[in-house]
Amino acid sequence: MSTFYDHFERHGHGKGLADHTTHYCPGCGHGLAHRDLAAAIDELGVQDRTVLINPVGCSVFAYYYFDVGNTQAAHGRAPAVALGHKLSNPDSVVICYQGDGDLASIGLAETISAAQMGVPITVIFINNGIYGMTGGQMAPTSLIGQRTTTSPNGRHPWMGQPLRVAELIAELDGPVYVERVALYDAKQRFRARKAITKAIRMQVEGRGYAFVEVLSECPTHLKATAVSAEEWIRTQMEPIFPLGVKKDRVVEPWFKRPARSFDPETVLALCGAEPADNGDGGGRAPRHPLGARDRSVKLAGSGGDGAQTAGLLIARAAIAEGFDATHIPSYGPESRGGTSYADVHIADLEVFNPSASEPDILVAFNAPSLARFAPSVPEGGVILYDSTVIKEPGEMPYNRRILGVPFTGIAAGLQRPMVKNLAALGALQAATDLLPAPRFLETLREVLKDKPSTLPVNEAAFAAGQRAVAGMRG
Amino acid sequence: MVPAQQLPNPMPATARDRPFLEPAYCKGCLRCVEVCPKGCIAPGTAVFPGTGLIPVELRLDACNGCGLCIGACPEPFGLRPESEVAHAAEAYCLKDPTELFGEKVVDGPPSRDQPAEAIALEDCQALVIKGTYASAIGAVLAGCRHVFGYPITPSTEGAELMAKMLPKLGGAFVQAVSEVAAVNMMYGAGAAGLPSMTFTSSPGFSLMLEGISYMIGAEVPGVFVNIMRGGPGLGNIGPEQADIKLACRGLGHGNTHALVLAPSTPQEMLDLTMEAFALSFRYRNPVVVLGDGYLGQMTGAVRLPARMLRPGLPAWSVWGDRAHRTNLICSIYLAEEDLEAHNLRLEAKYAAIGADEQRADPYRCEDARVLVVACNTPARMAKGAVETAREQGIAAGLFRPVTIWPFPIDALKEALPHVDHLVVVEASPGQLEDEMRLALSHAGITPPPITSVRRLGGILPQQSEILAGIRETQEVRV
Ligand code: SF4
Ligand code: SF4
Ligand code: SF4
Repeated sequence: MSTFYDHFERHGHGKGLADHTTHYCPGCGHGLAHRDLAAAIDELGVQDRTVLINPVGCSVFAYYYFDVGNTQAAHGRAPAVALGHKLSNPDSVVICYQGDGDLASIGLAETISAAQMGVPITVIFINNGIYGMTGGQMAPTSLIGQRTTTSPNGRHPWMGQPLRVAELIAELDGPVYVERVALYDAKQRFRARKAITKAIRMQVEGRGYAFVEVLSECPTHLKATAVSAEEWIRTQMEPIFPLGVKKDRVVEPWFKRPARSFDPETVLALCGAEPADNGDGGGRAPRHPLGARDRSVKLAGSGGDGAQTAGLLIARAAIAEGFDATHIPSYGPESRGGTSYADVHIADLEVFNPSASEPDILVAFNAPSLARFAPSVPEGGVILYDSTVIKEPGEMPYNRRILGVPFTGIAAGLQRPMVKNLAALGALQAATDLLPAPRFLETLREVLKDKPSTLPVNEAAFAAGQRAVAGMRG
Repeated sequence: MVPAQQLPNPMPATARDRPFLEPAYCKGCLRCVEVCPKGCIAPGTAVFPGTGLIPVELRLDACNGCGLCIGACPEPFGLRPESEVAHAAEAYCLKDPTELFGEKVVDGPPSRDQPAEAIALEDCQALVIKGTYASAIGAVLAGCRHVFGYPITPSTEGAELMAKMLPKLGGAFVQAVSEVAAVNMMYGAGAAGLPSMTFTSSPGFSLMLEGISYMIGAEVPGVFVNIMRGGPGLGNIGPEQADIKLACRGLGHGNTHALVLAPSTPQEMLDLTMEAFALSFRYRNPVVVLGDGYLGQMTGAVRLPARMLRPGLPAWSVWGDRAHRTNLICSIYLAEEDLEAHNLRLEAKYAAIGADEQRADPYRCEDARVLVVACNTPARMAKGAVETAREQGIAAGLFRPVTIWPFPIDALKEALPHVDHLVVVEASPGQLEDEMRLALSHAGITPPPITSVRRLGGILPQQSEILAGIRETQEVRV
């Protein structure tokens, strides 16, 4: 009996009889299920690999007895804890041992979702039709008419009808093996031991999730002797909770997890990191200092205008140029209704305020955006708007440079409506000289390196945007 | 169903054994009496003095060794096959099963701490990524390969990136059925001794608090990145800082604390997430990284560190092998004195964290007369306001707590002697200020006048508002 400790040190500090007896009431089914579980672990030779998830309920102290790795879980959460263990060490044999309150009431969501995931863990469900640990309250599996401390006149159907968990679990696609067993006579006990062993074997062989429901005696709260509790299970519970195999799917072993990888090259590639070049290695020293003040840009339009992409492109280009830069998408109530605003800041050393409430440069893709943000552009600022869709810009503030550029028209001319944001960027570059044009183009190439076929039309839009502004100058 | 006679005998070694019973270990439940076909077992007649229970009596003359009684006994040391009991007859009076039932298999060597290993990274260009991505990458570089989460705006992109990266690194991202399940998966992974994390936002963080209390109680590490949004209730998805109270004072039930880190740039989202894993394992305690909604979404330059980590395995982990078999992760201490002792140990840990892990980033504090206190994104606006105030001739400085719990009171104390006024800037109804006031009070410091600049509901205090707050202190003084 090696899976039980020789001494139950954790039970009452191992003093006196606590060293060799359980904390369970006389005749409690938990003891039998424990012996079955211990025998199954022995038979399969997996004691060293076993991690037992102890529930909340009378069996909260299973770790007093089982000489295996033990983790005690919060009420109902054992399957989630088990998955954490199993995914961390796929070689471990993880067994959830749970009662009816734990598994079928507070932990129902964790139970069902773990079963449906099908990851090989083994769940032993002790159904005794009552809450033992808290003192005889109604369980989700209590029978109709059963008197408990919280159903003193007997359970009425509106309090919920007894939940047949094994059938519920068997209905799911995840599990490979589901059986309901009992402990009330020698024959049932043989079956119980066999079922528990098989359920663990399913895991050891990597075949899948297995579930064994054990109809178990709680003589204390049935206010019965152990022998009449056995009788009650046989005559009262079994008709509602029929015994037998509910699911036994033949599944080839499939659960095999790759080893965790710590290969630095793979990690860097996944992060999208590029080796440092010794040229203008981003963020070191800006080539064209902006001076003490940072510059802010607001790009405002509706969802499909590409304001965010353009904003990110400016930020990336600025960082590559050696500046500090931030981009932040519109956030909060004004982002509702399909509008999309991007705030960009560029600074020599450090961007303080990342939001552009008073943008030096405004790019407006539609009339409402222009009307809304033009007044916030401070004196000396630049306002660019899409003159294809905004025919009448309305009254604009003085002492700002106001440029209508046909972003949409340029894109339409290229037969690619998507690139109007690049037309806008080209116009912004030409109008403000915020960053040199080659920097924008280089960043564009980097961003599109996985879709090189789209590069020419984007470049063309950028150039057309630039030309449109240059033409105005001329 | 398989007929009964075809069932393999689950106790082959004991099949033809007669039973043996040490009366002290019998609870007198009579399950064995009922099952014996030969009537060999009878209800006892005498109370056993040590237990106060009435053990059964065995008269084995007619016994055929069918083993049914043994199969009926719920007690591990109750009815047992005679053959397992070495020298049963002579040993009858012995109480020690080591002698009674023979020595058990020898245990393997006890587990040792396997330390983490640093792996050099080649020098790379700065990434231009948003805060949640930076945090995810920080976690991967810290060696985290297990992420459990539930989608919630504005933190989900971190989880999405993990879902993309981890399968290629032999890790797992699991979208749990709820935040409650997610935190408990972290509990399991942490109990197994591995780094794990989640991305969440305020309502999700609320749901995780039960699990966090269990993790603290059972001393399980794990990193929680909470990108705070507007509350209470469903609130909105705008940036707020109103979970400071939860993170610093409300981590579920009981005597709980966790280090709370407050990044203010995408770079710090990476650096502090990495750091959070180290701290989490150093103290065997969860660590909370609190960001605001802005920070989660904000894109900026992020440089990668020179090294990444391959995590080790702590000696205490319930890994699932021989070396770790005797380990137990649990937060239940039935005896009051045991639980008190456990709490005192936790208290000592919190005190050590308080003494050793305070972090702050003071900016122009050396000669500041007006000290602005702010963290997360509002600290950036505050820095801008401090700059402008300086240009206007006001000796302003910024004190930015990087740990909010423990509050960096030692550094604040250093800055205080020449400070005439504290201005606390936050997107919360005073939760940061409460942390500061509590820390001041515990340190026995009487602070100068404290005023505040606060916004709520998903709006951050703007630079102009903070500047106005700084200027107001000057008017008061005139
Ligand atoms: S209360 Fe019931 S389930 Fe709990 S130990 Fe006693 S008999 Fe067993
Ligand atoms: S082994 Fe069989 S015959 Fe012997 S006491 Fe036990 S139940 Fe009775
Ligand atoms: S089944 Fe075990 S505990 Fe119960 S009376 Fe028999 S020997 Fe004693």
